[in-house]
Amino acid sequence: MTAIRTEGLRKTYGDVTALADLSFTVETGELFALLGPNGAGKTTTIEILTGQLVPDAGTVEVVDTDPTAEPVETRRRVGILPEQESPPSFLTPREYFDFVGSVRGLDPAPLRDRVETWAERLSYTEKLDTLNTDLSRGQQQKVMITQAFLHDPDLVFIDEPLANLDPIVQERVKRFLARYRDDGNTVFLSTHDIDVAEEICSRVGIVSEGRLVGEREPGALGRGESLLDTFLDSVGGSIEATAEATD
Amino acid sequence: MAGTLSRRLFVEMFREEFRLHARLFGGRRFAAFPLFVALVGAGAVRLLVEAGIDPEATTAGFHALVFAFGLHTGSIGLVGRDAMRDLLGDLTLLVFSARTLPLSSRRLLGVFLVKDAVYYAALFLAPLSVGFLAVGLGLHVALLWATITATFLLGIAVTMAAIALSTRGAPGWSVLLGLAVAAGLAWTAGVDPVGFTPYAVYEAPSLGAVVRAVVPIVALSVLGIATYDATTTSPSRTAGNAFESWRARLWFDADGLVTKSLLDVARSSGGFTKVPFSAGILFLVSVGMVDLAGRLAGVDPSIAVSMGAILGLTAFTTYNWLTQFDALGIYLLYPISLRAVFGAKFRAFLVLGLPTALGYFAIAVAWRGSPAGEVAVGAVLLVGLQLYLFGLTVYLAGFRPNEFLFDTVLFAAFTAAVAAGIVPVLIVGFVLAPVDAVALAALALLAAVLGGAGVGLYRRAVPRWRRRYRAG
Repeated sequence: MTAIRTEGLRKTYGDVTALADLSFTVETGELFALLGPNGAGKTTTIEILTGQLVPDAGTVEVVDTDPTAEPVETRRRVGILPEQESPPSFLTPREYFDFVGSVRGLDPAPLRDRVETWAERLSYTEKLDTLNTDLSRGQQQKVMITQAFLHDPDLVFIDEPLANLDPIVQERVKRFLARYRDDGNTVFLSTHDIDVAEEICSRVGIVSEGRLVGEREPGALGRGESLLDTFLDSVGGSIEATAEATD
Repeated sequence: MAGTLSRRLFVEMFREEFRLHARLFGGRRFAAFPLFVALVGAGAVRLLVEAGIDPEATTAGFHALVFAFGLHTGSIGLVGRDAMRDLLGDLTLLVFSARTLPLSSRRLLGVFLVKDAVYYAALFLAPLSVGFLAVGLGLHVALLWATITATFLLGIAVTMAAIALSTRGAPGWSVLLGLAVAAGLAWTAGVDPVGFTPYAVYEAPSLGAVVRAVVPIVALSVLGIATYDATTTSPSRTAGNAFESWRARLWFDADGLVTKSLLDVARSSGGFTKVPFSAGILFLVSVGMVDLAGRLAGVDPSIAVSMGAILGLTAFTTYNWLTQFDALGIYLLYPISLRAVFGAKFRAFLVLGLPTALGYFAIAVAWRGSPAGEVAVGAVLLVGLQLYLFGLTVYLAGFRPNEFLFDTVLFAAFTAAVAAGIVPVLIVGFVLAPVDAVALAALALLAAVLGGAGVGLYRRAVPRWRRRYRAG
């Protein structure tokens, strides 16, 4: 079953082309990563797939909905962890999750259990009653991760999941995502962290200048092959050139 | 070496400030801003002089306004980053780079102060002073420019010294309190504080007046720079879970959006008090205006009609408080439409803004008295104008009403639309009192039209902003 399908997606901001003819599909149960350099169009792709932006051209389908025509319905069915958004400054995490529960129509009692589980998993139970504005960036990231999973969605969009997290919590998040996929759910990850993509993803799409320029299954990499080599081949980059330039 | 570094810092901070404003004012529009400032300044001064206000009183008021502007600018530089972030996203200014660059916070703050003085003196205060040429104060423009620039610096220095001392804990607060008490004692002993400000130089230029004006500016600046501690942090704040109990009381808030808006206002600096406080300032100003209009026109104005119209303006500040600490991005993660988000802001506005304005209206008519018919129509006008301003603000500025203050074209459009609604009412209230039954009926009809227009604008605003936000 297909969870996400895009065909000929195009998006420009003035003179800047963010997406140019982007097409790909993600099957249900995949942990798919969109890997690309800064400014390759990864965040724009997530914003279109979740109905936050409208593409200039192309079609898109997400869990049997059209995010362009019915963004609210798409967002009802998925979880979203954006790269930049912070939780509301003057609410505590506990109040924020109550707010998320109210807009998603979740029952209060199971919601509270889920909140406790997530706070324990990500080690921030003692911060549940601190105003979000007074949390560190890492703690805010933990709150945002929690809100994306509170309604137990079948598909989650995640933009740079491990930003600002300490190594222990990073490991817990990676393990959770792998388990989540094993349970038959779908994860769409946007990242420029090759190690994360190689370690936990079932398939990686490489995007550059708004186009899909390569695809690889990390599990199928041959001996001596690395995702980094595939990435550099696809985007036309070279580590040596960069090193010389910085010497 | 130190001089070269400070010069370089000055240049970069100046460039940073210019680009910040160019971005805020819509790029090339910023080039027209000094001209706009000069025209507005000239228009305002001409209006005041034509209204019979003494030119000396005008220049005194002008100095007071610039002092307030200085106080505000000092706070933007040091503590107002949250407000700027609402407009521009994450913002890092050079003045805060002591942690990442081998530069002392004192040097950064000192250069920042000099940069502000030069920047605002050239781009804002000079055009404002030139505006006075329009009323024949040409001979004093150079002096006026010098004294308002110094007044602006005094405002910044006061804020910076206060903020810097507050970063030093109890000893800093003690010094601050000591300074305030000393100033209060001096005033009660008959010392005129204005004599130690640049306005005294404008009034009666002399070497002694210059020295008395410059010493406080230098002393406060040195105090601020010497005591500012950039590493100070405030402790984390905690709060019990109020969301569900608040939502339970707001029976019309099934999705919790109104509750969130109200919690944002309640928990941010000043709490709910800031809503009646900002409306109270307008209330006091409008009481003064109504009195002034009475003296100028020689007719007692209609308190209810005039105050109903003027207090309608509080809709803008209330909507501003409701959106100041909110961002649309957070709502785009959830299955809620923009219509629901704006609808919640509207309901929160009705909960917070309308009772506040009606409360001040009740105080005004109880205090100054007004015929019953005028009170009824004044209240209807207040509601109609509040709805009109709300709809107009949402239509023009969406979720970021602060942008009015930084976008010349938007501000001009807003000003024109507000004037179109309020000026006819004020003319009736100021000149035609006591208002006869026909005029009252016409005003009630106008209130209904304005209220309807406000609701119409609000409804049209939703698809307008949905298209804009989703286009990216």
